[in-house]
Amino acid sequence: MDSIKYFTFSMIIFISGIRGILLNRRNILIMSMSIESMLLAVNSNFLVFSVSSDDMMGQSFALLVPTVAAAESAIGLAIFVITFRVRGTIAVESINSIQGSGPFSLGERIRFELS
Amino acid sequence: MDLPGSIHDFLIVFMGSGLILGSLGVVLFTSPIFCAFSLGLVLIYISLFYILANSHFVAFAQLLIYVGAINILVIDSVMFMNDLEYDKIFHRWTVGDGITSLVCTSLFVSLTIIILIASWYGINWTTKLNQILEQDLINTSQRIGIHLSTNFFLSVELISIILLVALIGATAVARQ
Repeated sequence: MDSIKYFTFSMIIFISGIRGILLNRRNILIMSMSIESMLLAVNSNFLVFSVSSDDMMGQSFALLVPTVAAAESAIGLAIFVITFRVRGTIAVESINSIQGSGPFSLGERIRFELS
Repeated sequence: MDLPGSIHDFLIVFMGSGLILGSLGVVLFTSPIFCAFSLGLVLIYISLFYILANSHFVAFAQLLIYVGAINILVIDSVMFMNDLEYDKIFHRWTVGDGITSLVCTSLFVSLTIIILIASWYGINWTTKLNQILEQDLINTSQRIGIHLSTNFFLSVELISIILLVALIGATAVARQ
């Protein structure tokens, strides 16, 4: 089995997922899809190593990763739907309800630097 | 899958191209519904990859869970949020975007070098003695089942509970 080709493709998917998270600040739904593609790339690596070493542990683990991804997607999408219903937008900048307001919080520091 | 070498390589390159295009589509499309469909394409191509790598059970499980559940959930969420604002105007690059591109490019170059330099075939894997006996007696799905019910028993139970709690919680949150 030519592992190098599989690793190359999973690496490209992983890096495009990172790029998607850092690029799509206006739309948290696309950020969650990029996280899914990163999980997919990692899953693919587990499987390729498992097949090349003829060990079933990797394939068993590769079955558990989509389950965790499903749980995370369900919660995340429910939160996004509620956020859109309340605020009318899913831009990342608008999801700041849990931001602290003390002197050392991140929000205060960013506001101080921008002013 | 036991295919001749040239057909195997052609299929890998063909599906890999589809994977790359799909993953770029997820990142670069401005419309979320196109991103969701690109993600579905990526998930289907990855399953075909797994079939080429002789992991049929994981491939079909991936199709069921990822495409059949997660991707449908994503598409439904996009349809619920049907007034999403799209980035119709060209988003000018900022310093942060430039740094991001630099980081991603350096990561890409370093990982490519690592993949090409590392001697993947020279790694000696340690296997347990009973695994060597199992290989001749049972097929892949049965071996996965044995691992899930012995080595990964606690993990499977915990993840099942996590999934149940997450789905019930998501339903309760979305009902409000």
